[in-house]
Amino acid sequence: MQSKSVYKIPNGKLLKISLEFNEKKNTIIHIKIMGDFFAYPEESIELLEVALNGAVLEKESLQKKIQSIITEHSIQFIGINAEGLTHGILMCIP
Amino acid sequence: MTEQWRLLQTGFNTAAANMAIDRAILIAYSDGKVPPTVRFYGWTPPAISIGYFQSLTDEVNLTACKKYGVDYVRRITGGGAVFHDKEVTYSIVVSESHPAVPKNILQSYGRVCGAVIKGLDQLGINSTYAPINDIIVQGKKISGNAQTRKLNTVLQHGTILLDVDVDTMFSLLKVPNEKIKDKLIKDVKQRVTSIKHIKGKEVGFDEVAAAMKKGFEDEFQIDLLEGTLTNEEKRLAKQFEKECFATKEWNHRR
Repeated sequence: MQSKSVYKIPNGKLLKISLEFNEKKNTIIHIKIMGDFFAYPEESIELLEVALNGAVLEKESLQKKIQSIITEHSIQFIGINAEGLTHGILMCIP
Repeated sequence: MTEQWRLLQTGFNTAAANMAIDRAILIAYSDGKVPPTVRFYGWTPPAISIGYFQSLTDEVNLTACKKYGVDYVRRITGGGAVFHDKEVTYSIVVSESHPAVPKNILQSYGRVCGAVIKGLDQLGINSTYAPINDIIVQGKKISGNAQTRKLNTVLQHGTILLDVDVDTMFSLLKVPNEKIKDKLIKDVKQRVTSIKHIKGKEVGFDEVAAAMKKGFEDEFQIDLLEGTLTNEEKRLAKQFEKECFATKEWNHRR
């Protein structure tokens, strides 16, 4: 299933998620993370998108996974964070 | 002795050429070929730039751009969509390890914005830095800024609004919700200002660029010596324009 969300991160930027997910398995098939935020290095967003393929759409585990990818690749976000990303992604689920 | 950096006045260029020149300076500088550089420039035709992470078709009304002859380009920096019309645009390229550049990215935004603030001071305009990436006057935005760091080099570019036309801007940008478009336009008109609005008269590009030059010199304790793009930078800029910023692959990649 395809879905989109727009989420203004509190004290941050506007996050736009485009999500294709497996309803049966409740997992991410493909995700695009868009918006007017900043990420250093910029290419890390594509890396994060790929790393989230197959991730389970459940708040706690998803946020943990995002945080571990951020830490592992020393990604610096400005205007978004793991919590906001998780919220924006889960907003795509009906 | 005061450190000497290069000043570039590249005039008015297309969106793709402008973004290609900034990237060419970044590459030439990281190769040790040119000194730290501050550049002032404008856009012709008027153009929309979008942030690296934005979706072009989500943010920009391409039909309207075509109709009004407005250019568009994806930046290598994050941040939001900007309509570049009556403004002075700056870019600064300097080493990440330069003592004047804070290691902390947000703090370094503040530092570079400090130069723009000192430039506005020259024009008798009292402004402040509003994190993450804005400069405001009397609570209203007059400047937006975006920074990338690559190859141990900081590139920050930003706008200083000479004048602003919010209605035209919104005919070119898409809004998330058409139903609240009128309210959004009203809100943005309340939240954005320009040098013309504050001074009550038009101030020209050259006068503002001269004030900004002084602002950068004061903030970074440097002398800016007017220079030109090297032949290699020109070659790189042409290459980046052709292979990247003028291509559909780049501009439509998100």
